[in-house]
Amino acid sequence: MLEWLSDNRAVVAAIIILLLVGSFFASIIYGIKQTRLREKDQVFGDPERTVGGWFWAVCGVSTLLLVWFYFSWGSARAFFPQAANELCQVAKLHEAVSPVTSSLAIDSRYSKSKTLLVRNSRQLAELRDRLPVNAFSPADAALVTGVMQNTQQLISIMATPDFVGAATIAELEKIKAGYAAITNELAKPRQGWSPDPAALAQPSWGISEPEIPLLPISARGAMYDALAVEAASLSEDFLKIRNLSPAAKDLISETKATIAALKKSQSPNESDPAIVKDRADYLKSVDRIFKRIDDGTIFPAVVMADMQLAVEAMLDRAEKAKGGLRYVEALFFPGGDIVKSRTQCTEQGPGRWLPKPTDVVATFFGLANPDVENGGGYKGTTLLWWKWLPISDVVSILIPDSLIDLLPGDYGQLNDKGEFEANYKDWMLGLAQGDVYLGVVPMLDGHIWDSLFRVLVAMFFGVLLGVPLGIYMGVSRFYKSFFDPMIELYRPVPPLAWAPLILTIFGIQDDGKIFLLFMVAFAIMVISARTGASGAQLSKIRASHSLGASDRQILRYVILPNALPEIMTGIRISIGVCWGTLVAAEMLAGTTGVGFIENVARTVSDYELIWVTILIMGSLGLAFDLMMRWVISQLIPWRGKG
Amino acid sequence: MRNLKKNVISACVAAVTMGGTAVAQAADSVNVAFFLEWATPNQIAKVDKTYDEAMGVDVKWTNFSTGVQMTEAMLAGDIDIAYSQGLAPFVTAIQQGAPIKMVSVAVIYEANDCFVNNGLGINSSNASELEGKTVAVPLNTMADFAFRKYMQVLNVDTSTMKIVDQAPADGAVSLAEGSVDMACIFGGDSAKKAGEVGTPIMSSQQKRDAGIGSFDVVSVTEKFATANPGLLRTFLEVTHEANANWKGNAEQVNKVAADAGMDYATTKNQMSGFIFPTAAEQKEQFFGPDGVAVAAAESLGLVFKRPGAWNVDQKIAKVITGEYLD
Repeated sequence: MLEWLSDNRAVVAAIIILLLVGSFFASIIYGIKQTRLREKDQVFGDPERTVGGWFWAVCGVSTLLLVWFYFSWGSARAFFPQAANELCQVAKLHEAVSPVTSSLAIDSRYSKSKTLLVRNSRQLAELRDRLPVNAFSPADAALVTGVMQNTQQLISIMATPDFVGAATIAELEKIKAGYAAITNELAKPRQGWSPDPAALAQPSWGISEPEIPLLPISARGAMYDALAVEAASLSEDFLKIRNLSPAAKDLISETKATIAALKKSQSPNESDPAIVKDRADYLKSVDRIFKRIDDGTIFPAVVMADMQLAVEAMLDRAEKAKGGLRYVEALFFPGGDIVKSRTQCTEQGPGRWLPKPTDVVATFFGLANPDVENGGGYKGTTLLWWKWLPISDVVSILIPDSLIDLLPGDYGQLNDKGEFEANYKDWMLGLAQGDVYLGVVPMLDGHIWDSLFRVLVAMFFGVLLGVPLGIYMGVSRFYKSFFDPMIELYRPVPPLAWAPLILTIFGIQDDGKIFLLFMVAFAIMVISARTGASGAQLSKIRASHSLGASDRQILRYVILPNALPEIMTGIRISIGVCWGTLVAAEMLAGTTGVGFIENVARTVSDYELIWVTILIMGSLGLAFDLMMRWVISQLIPWRGKG
Repeated sequence: MRNLKKNVISACVAAVTMGGTAVAQAADSVNVAFFLEWATPNQIAKVDKTYDEAMGVDVKWTNFSTGVQMTEAMLAGDIDIAYSQGLAPFVTAIQQGAPIKMVSVAVIYEANDCFVNNGLGINSSNASELEGKTVAVPLNTMADFAFRKYMQVLNVDTSTMKIVDQAPADGAVSLAEGSVDMACIFGGDSAKKAGEVGTPIMSSQQKRDAGIGSFDVVSVTEKFATANPGLLRTFLEVTHEANANWKGNAEQVNKVAADAGMDYATTKNQMSGFIFPTAAEQKEQFFGPDGVAVAAAESLGLVFKRPGAWNVDQKIAKVITGEYLD
C-alpha cells in the first residue's frame, strides 16, 4: 500500500491539491455565511466572538499546505510530471553551450575578450610604474620594458580585426554554421525524435536518486538531448580556436626569447638577496601576464559579434521551442530552476531546500516504521513505539549502589572450592544494579518518547518547584528579595551557554538534558506565578482577612485561584520554550531524540529529514498547547469574565 | 501616500533587476572559502595578494566553520572555490546532488584520533573490549569516518557500542569526566585536551600501515569551472607555488599564524602533521587511474550511505577531476 502510494506520488499529490483547493474555497464560503449570520448578535471585542470557527482553521491550514505545495514545486510534479525531465534536457543544452556563452557577452555584461584586454592592460600599466630600477641594469631594464610593450602590442594585434588569420575566421565560420544548424533543427516542428525505451524505464521524478531522470522521456526532450551533444562538440572546437596570426606568432617567439634571456642575466646588485628576489618576482609577474596573453584567447569584437548573434539566435530559438513548457516553468517552478551538473539534474532554489509535502510524509513514514532491522527508525531507534521495560531497571534508578554498602555484613566471598557464595547483600546489590529479574512492563520507546520524556520531566519539576517559589515571592518580602537576584541573573542567559558546564556536572545521560530544560521552565514558572500572586486584588484579600481567614486560607483560597490564569499561561509558554530548547539540549550528547535527528540531518543537509523534525516538534507543541487550552477552560472557566 | 507607493514600487523594481544582474555578473572577483585555525602555506599568497596579482581579479576570502556551510554558500552562489573543504562534507554534498566538483587535494593529514580513556587500559591489541562501551563521535565528519575505519580494522562490532553524537570540544570534556569511554576528536585544541586523559586507539604508524588517512579537497562550483577554467588553473598554480616555497621558517610561520588566528607554537605544531602534495604527485596518486581521491570518496560515501538514497554506479568518480592541475 505504502509503496503503491510512493510510486504514484504525483497522482496522489494531484488529488490532495485539488481537495485542498476545494476545502479552501468551501471554508471561505461557509465562513462568510457564518459571519453574516452572527454579526448582528455580537459586539466587537466580545471574547465570545473568538469561540469556534473551525472553518477558518481549515482555511488557514489549506492555505499553508497549498503555499507549501506550490513553492516546493510539489504542484509542478503533481500536474506536470514530465516537466522536470524536459527542463533537464533544456538545461543540458545550456550546459553544453556555457563555455561559449561565458566567453561572449551573453551571461555577463562584457565579453571575455574585453575583460581580458582591459584587465591585462591595466596590470601592465601598473607593472610598468613599479619597475625596480636598482634590480635591473639599464640594458635589462630596456628589455623588460620592451617585453611589456610587446605584450601590450600583442593584445592590440589580437583585438584588431585585420590581423585575424584566415584559418581562424574559417574555423569560427564553421562553428557559426553549426549553431545555425542547431537553430534550424529547433525551428522545425518536432519530428524524428523519440525517447529511448531505456529512458522510459527510468523511475519518474522524485521517486529515487537521482531525483530527476536524466534520459529524455519525451520527443521534445529527446530533441534537446541530441542537440546538446552537438552543441557540446561545437563548444569543444570553439575552445581550441586560438587567435594567433603570423604577426602575433612572431611577436610571441621574440618575446619568449627575451624573457628567457632576462631570466638568465643577472642583476647589477647580485649581492643583495632582497633585490635578487625583487627582480625574480617582477620577472615572474611580467611572464605571467605574457603567458595569459599568448594563449590567443582575445578576439576582436567585430569578429565575435557574428558568433554572439548565432548563439543568441540559437538560445532564443531553444526558448521558443519549449512551447507550453515555458509557461509551466514560469508558473509552476517559482524561485529557481532545474540545473544540469556533471552527473545529474537537480532542483535548485526552493525545490531543493523546501521538500515536497508528499516526500516529507514519505520520509516520516520511513522513520515511523518500527522495523528497525529493515531500515525503519533512525540510527537504530524507532520514532515512537513500545518495548518491554524490566521493572528492575526502574528499581535500580531509585536505589543508589552506595546505599547497599551501608548494610551490615560483608559481600560474599569465594569459598575453598573456588565457588562464589552469594549472600543477601550481593542480592541487594544486584537489585540496586538492575540485575534481578522482577518482571517487565510495557513502556513507550523511540526518539519522540525520549524527547517527550525529557520535556515532561523538566516541566514537572519546573512547575513543582517554580510555582510555590513564585507565589511566595509574590507575597513575602524575604522570598522576593532573597531569590530575585539569583533568578534574574540566570534567566537571560541562553541555555546553550550552560551546555559545557552541564556536560561536566551531569555527564551524558538524560539528567543533564533534563536539567537544561528545567532551568528554562523554572524561570518562566517562577515569574508567571509571582506575577499572578502579586496581582491578586487587595480588596479580595482584605475581605477574606476580615472574615477571619488564616494566612494559609488566604493563600489557598484567594491568592492561588487568582494566580492560576498566569500560572497556566506560564505553563503554555514554558512548554513551547522547552521544545525550542530541546535541539540545544540534545546537542550536548546526542543519542536519541527529535533534536538529535535534527542535529545529524543538519550535518548532511538532509532537508527532508530536517523538515520532518521541524514538523514533529511543531505538531507536538501544538498538541500540548491544545491540551493546555482545554485544561485552562476546565480549571479556570471564569477567566476573562471577571 | 502616493509617494510611498511609488518608492515601494521603485524599490521592488530595483530589487528585481539587481537579483537578475547578480547572476549575470562577470567574474571580476573570485570568492574563496577557507577555514580559520587551519594553517596552510597558501595563506602567505593570500596575505601577499599573490592570488589577486596572478589571477588578475580580486580574490575575496571568507572564512567558514564547517564544510557543510561551504557547500551551502556555493549553492547560494556566494562562493566559487572552497579551499580545504573536508572530504566528508564534499561527498555528502554530492550525494545530495550539489553541482560542485573536486579539482585538487588541499592538504593530507593524519586521520583524526579516537582517544580511549587511560583508565580502561584498552589499546589496539585488545580493542574488542570496546564492545558495549560508550563512544563520543561527531557524526558525519572525517572523525566519524576515521572511527568506522579503525573499528573495521580492529574488528570491533560498532553495533554493540553506544555512540553519542558530540562536538569535539564536548567529547573531550565527556572523556575527561569519564562519561564516555572513547572520544573521537578533530581540531588541535580539543585533541590536546583529550590527549591528557586518553590515548589514541591507533598510533600514527598503525594508521599508516592500515592505510587510514584524511585529506581536504579544493572544490569548485561546476558553473565557475566551466566559465573560468583559466582562473581556476591559476588559482591552483599559485597554491602549489606557495606550497613549494614553504620552508617553515619563523617569518613564514608567523605570517600564516597571524592569518589563521592561532599562536606560533600551535601553528607550527599543526603544520608539522600536514603534507601538501605537488601537482605532479596529485595527478599521479590521487587523480590518475585508480586514484586515491575516487577510492576514498567512494568508501566514505558507502560509510555514510543513506538507505536507498545512493546508487553506487561510480557516480562520484565523475565529479573528481585532475584536469585543472596542469
